[in-house]
Amino acid sequence: MNMNDTYMPTIIGFLCNWCSYTGADLAGTARMKIPASLRVVRVMCSGRIDPLFVLKGFLKGADGIMMMGCHPGDCHYQKGNYNARRRFVMLQNIFESLGLEKERIGLWWVSASEAPKYAQVTKEFAEKVKELGPNPLREEIFL
Amino acid sequence: MNGQIGVYICECGPNIKDRIDIDKVIEDISSLGDVKTVKRFPLLCSNDGKKFLEEEIKKEDLSHLVVAACSPREHEKTFMDVCEQADFNPYLFQLINIREHCAWMISDKNEATAKAIKYIRAGIRRVALHRPLEKKEIESIPDVLVIGGGVSGLEASLSLAGKDRRVYLVEKTGSLGGMAKKLSQLLPNQGSNLSLIDEKVEQVHNNENILVSTSSTVGDVRGFLGNFEIVIHTDGETSGFRKAQVGAIVVATGFDVFDPEENSQYGYGIDNVFTAQEFEEQIKSGNVLLKSGKPPESVAIIHCVGRKERGYCSKVCCCYSIKFAHYLKDNLSNVNVSELYVDLCLPHKSDQEYFEEAKKKGVHFVRSEEEINVNQKGDQIEVEYHSEGKTDSIVVDMVVLAPAMIPSGDTPELAHLLNIPLDKSGFFKEIHEVLDPISTPIEGIYIAGCATGPKNIPESIVQSQAASGKILSSLIPGEKIVPEVKVSEIREEFCTGCQTCLSVCFYGAIRFDSFKGISVVNEAICRGCGSCVGSCPSGAIRSKHFTYPQLYREILEALR
Repeated sequence: MNMNDTYMPTIIGFLCNWCSYTGADLAGTARMKIPASLRVVRVMCSGRIDPLFVLKGFLKGADGIMMMGCHPGDCHYQKGNYNARRRFVMLQNIFESLGLEKERIGLWWVSASEAPKYAQVTKEFAEKVKELGPNPLREEIFL
Repeated sequence: MNGQIGVYICECGPNIKDRIDIDKVIEDISSLGDVKTVKRFPLLCSNDGKKFLEEEIKKEDLSHLVVAACSPREHEKTFMDVCEQADFNPYLFQLINIREHCAWMISDKNEATAKAIKYIRAGIRRVALHRPLEKKEIESIPDVLVIGGGVSGLEASLSLAGKDRRVYLVEKTGSLGGMAKKLSQLLPNQGSNLSLIDEKVEQVHNNENILVSTSSTVGDVRGFLGNFEIVIHTDGETSGFRKAQVGAIVVATGFDVFDPEENSQYGYGIDNVFTAQEFEEQIKSGNVLLKSGKPPESVAIIHCVGRKERGYCSKVCCCYSIKFAHYLKDNLSNVNVSELYVDLCLPHKSDQEYFEEAKKKGVHFVRSEEEINVNQKGDQIEVEYHSEGKTDSIVVDMVVLAPAMIPSGDTPELAHLLNIPLDKSGFFKEIHEVLDPISTPIEGIYIAGCATGPKNIPESIVQSQAASGKILSSLIPGEKIVPEVKVSEIREEFCTGCQTCLSVCFYGAIRFDSFKGISVVNEAICRGCGSCVGSCPSGAIRSKHFTYPQLYREILEALR
């Protein structure tokens, strides 16, 4: 992937206010290194992440999209994260049936105290997306 | 659009200033349309900073405000308060996190600056779509429903009842006092004697602000913090029901005990094998006797009965088992007492001493590595235990079983009625076992005592006082309450009445209006998670402050 050395993917992360967003804050406070390519969109609950956000973001050219919520059983709103999980499974199916690269989307449970996990999963995902290269749809689809 | 957006960048001391090229940010942002002014300030959350911001809002006649500083989890509230001070709707403001998420995360200053610009641009694009949101005030009722008339319920009722606050105390049995009334005596470290409980019962009966309903259950609960409508059903002589309105509910339904018949290894059913509760009765009557009418010469007290089956330690059995041993040693001459346990739990500061004293009196403490087997052996009972890899046994006249505490029988129905969750053991689930042990996900409903799991009397009392404190500070007589502002709303003209949103709302905040054929959000119950918004196939639900257009702008700006 030498040609990609200068390529900086664009990744959108939808973070739950109560868990992963706070975990991300903690990662910042601890001066952990987080990929500069990640753009965070804060929502109150992972249950607010409409599958359309992911699809639209993807069709508009995001190279990768991360969804993060509270661990099962720990949702601030009790069951919002289960809604997120169902929607994620649905999204994977949609991606598959449309022939899109479903490796470009992912769902993680990251709690407010799991700054190291936040740093790790964002780093791994950013590396994976970089290997996949630019989202081919960026050039193809005009919405 | 002719926005008048003001953008203020906080240097946060050296935190942002040293890691982000603020001048470059200002240069970039200033060129955007709708941006009236972009300024930097050394520390916006300081008193000087807040004053500066307040004056700026007024002076610049801003339509919207963007502050680029730290995490919204740190200072969103601070700046919203500044907005209110300046007579500026706080929902026309957006805080952009360029400290934690840019300055502190990215070591390369150019990259951090570029990312900060992206975030601020997204914030400006988003804030332009913000509309003022108004706080609503609703009347609240200070009265409280307490479910359960045991130690926890009594304590909560007494702490809460007062001149301006009535308490409805509902007890399912015919009398108050709960499980504690069945005890022969309290532990020495739990107060001197049982008359304390009787005193509390009397105080409750004498308190004109506590309306006691015995032989009663809660039949229906509807509503939300400050405004619950309840129905109390009473059986027996005064059968009937009472309707009432309360502002909060304390669930203090206590516990039941594990039935040792569930597992034959405990030998319950064999002559002279008693449960701790039966043994308490014997002590109360002053006659600890075998079936034959003779006093026992040897007694084995078995701890941890049901611990394996239930999957948790009940925390109180070790102490009351030691209490039994003291009683036997003090009252029966030459009695041989053995305590067999899997694990010994002595959690409180005076427990260790109590245990050492029992040892001094000659009580044998035996640890069994596995669960204990109890079998009949002639007229006597053989207790088999497992120590250091070997199976050993003792033969005794009497066995006392210390069974686990289990959830009170009507817990599942009540959980369903109140819409609060249960944990995997079947007890009510608290918000957080350590950090918030008395709150439930439903605002205004609290749990105290053994309803959330095994506890001793002092712990139960502390929990009742804690729950009362929460209620006393949130439901002040004569004061209105302000529910969450960032809630969902369903737009009538788009709703098709499919009711998908009802199925995803955990709080039951959405109801179906069958007359209009649409779903309606009760804004007083809605907590603003937005789960329903993502579920709506016709896009009829708007999540205030997290609307589709607002979030799309953030997404698109990220991809620019």
